[in-house]
Amino acid sequence: MVATILKLKFTTVAHQLRREWWRALLLIGGAVWSLTLVPMVFWAQTWLGFETSDVRGTILVIFAAVCTAGWMVVPLLVTGLEDTLDPGRFATLGVDARRIAPGLIIAAFLTVPALFFMLVFTVLSGAWRYESGWTQAVAVVGGLLTVATMVLGARVAVAWSSRAVNERRTRVLLFLAIGLGVAVVGSVTWLVLRDGLESGLESTVPVLGEWLGRTPLGAGMQAPAVWAAGDAWGAVWRLLVVAGTAVLLALAWKDSIAHALVHPVHRGGGRQRRVDAVMAGAGENNSGWWRASGPMRAVRSRMLISWSTDARYIVAALGVVALPVVFFAILMPVLSLDPRWAFAAPLLLASSIGWGRHNDVALDSSGLWLDIVSGSRGRDIMMGRLQAVLIWAAPATGVAVLGVLVWSGRWADAPGLVGAAAGTLGATLGVSAVCAVVFPYRAPGPGENPFGAEVGSLGASLLAQVVSSLGMLVVLPLVTVPLVLALTVHSGWGWVALVTGVVIGALALVWGARVAGALYDRRSGRLIGAVT
Amino acid sequence: MGSPATAPVAAMSLRGLTKRFGATVAVAGVDLDIPTHSFYGVVGPNGAGKTTTLSMATGLLEPDTGTALIHGIDMWRHPAQAKPLVGVLPDGLHTFDRLTGGELISYAGLMRGLDKATVKQRRDDLLAALDLDNAGATLVTDFSAGMTKKISLACALVHAPRVLVLDEPFEAVDPVSAGAIRRILQEFVASGGTVVMSSHVMALVERLCDHVAVVGHGQILASGTLDEVRAGRDLEDRFVELVGDVSDQRDLSWLRQS
Repeated sequence: MVATILKLKFTTVAHQLRREWWRALLLIGGAVWSLTLVPMVFWAQTWLGFETSDVRGTILVIFAAVCTAGWMVVPLLVTGLEDTLDPGRFATLGVDARRIAPGLIIAAFLTVPALFFMLVFTVLSGAWRYESGWTQAVAVVGGLLTVATMVLGARVAVAWSSRAVNERRTRVLLFLAIGLGVAVVGSVTWLVLRDGLESGLESTVPVLGEWLGRTPLGAGMQAPAVWAAGDAWGAVWRLLVVAGTAVLLALAWKDSIAHALVHPVHRGGGRQRRVDAVMAGAGENNSGWWRASGPMRAVRSRMLISWSTDARYIVAALGVVALPVVFFAILMPVLSLDPRWAFAAPLLLASSIGWGRHNDVALDSSGLWLDIVSGSRGRDIMMGRLQAVLIWAAPATGVAVLGVLVWSGRWADAPGLVGAAAGTLGATLGVSAVCAVVFPYRAPGPGENPFGAEVGSLGASLLAQVVSSLGMLVVLPLVTVPLVLALTVHSGWGWVALVTGVVIGALALVWGARVAGALYDRRSGRLIGAVT
Repeated sequence: MGSPATAPVAAMSLRGLTKRFGATVAVAGVDLDIPTHSFYGVVGPNGAGKTTTLSMATGLLEPDTGTALIHGIDMWRHPAQAKPLVGVLPDGLHTFDRLTGGELISYAGLMRGLDKATVKQRRDDLLAALDLDNAGATLVTDFSAGMTKKISLACALVHAPRVLVLDEPFEAVDPVSAGAIRRILQEFVASGGTVVMSSHVMALVERLCDHVAVVGHGQILASGTLDEVRAGRDLEDRFVELVGDVSDQRDLSWLRQS
């Protein structure tokens, strides 16, 4: 069975590469890029070799902990997990989880990132070679076990979180976990930076390393240091902790596979809705240019249902806070930036929201045919979608603006910030609307893993992401430069920022919807093919 | 809506439609006239190009070449005028399945530009007529395959189109519901509407349709009234004769139970 599954994986990948040759270039490019990092890893190994074993252990523990965090978070936030071997796809074959789990686990280790990390941690364990042969052996075992927890942990994290967002009962739990994660990262950052970066590195980090070295995150890396210090038992139980964690994660993943096999995700969980929410959003009177038309209202109502119940939309709405929070809570204190930089956080939030909508048409494509056969309704469809986003995005941006003003106390700069934030939101949403029609790429369907990246769309998604980013880079200075001038040159610029921001934002939004709508109608005969 | 009595314009007129996907030619020049007030069956083996042809006729898939006229209006040149005339039930496409059954019909009606009161009444009528009363508050994603077909059919009917284009409307539908759908469609044709329906089930086509077209290898192999195409024989025999039988009729002896 293991061989069958591995063969299945490689056959699938080979077929993809044959169909889309540029994917091979990306794969080779990724591998080459990874290999160019290897000399750096060897340099790090030599450098670590010169450090005392205490310092070396601490550095490796922290490094491993950061890598583990990356393995957990990156697939959730950014790229999506490569899902050639999504366990759900085996559901119709009637196989037992116990039979396919070993194959899936081995396949998870045969990916470029997993192989690369195994290589890196093996090379780094060479830093212990001056101690003794046994120490290096402990280091190799500890390093590889740590990589195992990373790879398996990433799978479990994705499996559990997608399960959690799909079930209403556990959704609360997921939010709690996210809150806990932010709190931990925040407090650790605060601890390290409490007395300034220098002294933090000297005093807090070793303590942190010591403690992390007793958890599965760092125990594998701490083990050789403990062994070198003569504490054989300390090294053994640390290795056992990591090995045990790896086994537990493997079991947890097997359990997730078993769950995925008998719980097809395409179900709504028997939810009922007595009130016709689409009808509730429809207007009695659609006359007058200022009123939304019937179709526009219908699309808006439907999108509001998606934003409040569809896991993919909820994840997207939660994800937008990541960038501003990282910037405000981590980057600003670490780089000791001037408080005025905080004004960038609401703009980052607004542009995250706007940029995040650049594949909106594909994400919502399950019933695309119904919109298309209804007539030439491109403008209504695109405007309805934008209105549904604005209903939550405008208050969210407003809260961020208010928060920054309260925190900084720079109320005099309020007009500039309000203008720039409104402009950023409108401009990015407008650019995204056009991109969503011109460069749609396959996205996970409703009920599918919201963290999954659809296989075979990497090139299209890269193109769409690059083009939408460039479009925003062109438009954003128009609304942000006056704010920068207000903060640095003269506060009078703030009023200019208010006017330009609101006007340009509104124009970009309306024009974006119009252009996108016209393109939607013109491309309607090709859209379904582009997203399915 | 009165159908023009003096100069009968075809309800649907396809001219030289072609579609190519990469190296595969899915539709290789389809010419077909579907008379107004007819119940037209489109039959053909799997992969013959039925769904591709119907998609190009309804504005869902842009043809490489050729035209599709609905009551004389070009679907691809004047979609805003052509699309309101057509009700579409596609096959193999999902729907906005996070809406409830009732919401989906409301959505389809509002998208067609109907006012709120009309949509409300037609939604309730359709839910009752298609025996979906109890499913009005259930999410479409929790529907069975047959119920999903029925709700999609309701979406195709809600704006009272002149032409109904239905891809496999009876697939997975239970006999009672199938009877209800049959009655609705027959009444629709009797009142002057046109139904274009694809199906694999020859008996159903023989029973319902007055015209039929046989599609194979992306072309029309035969078309006309049911009797013309049958040429005095059983439709199924004629179909197999036109498209060719399975070439390798291998005996699956290992499947036998004793």
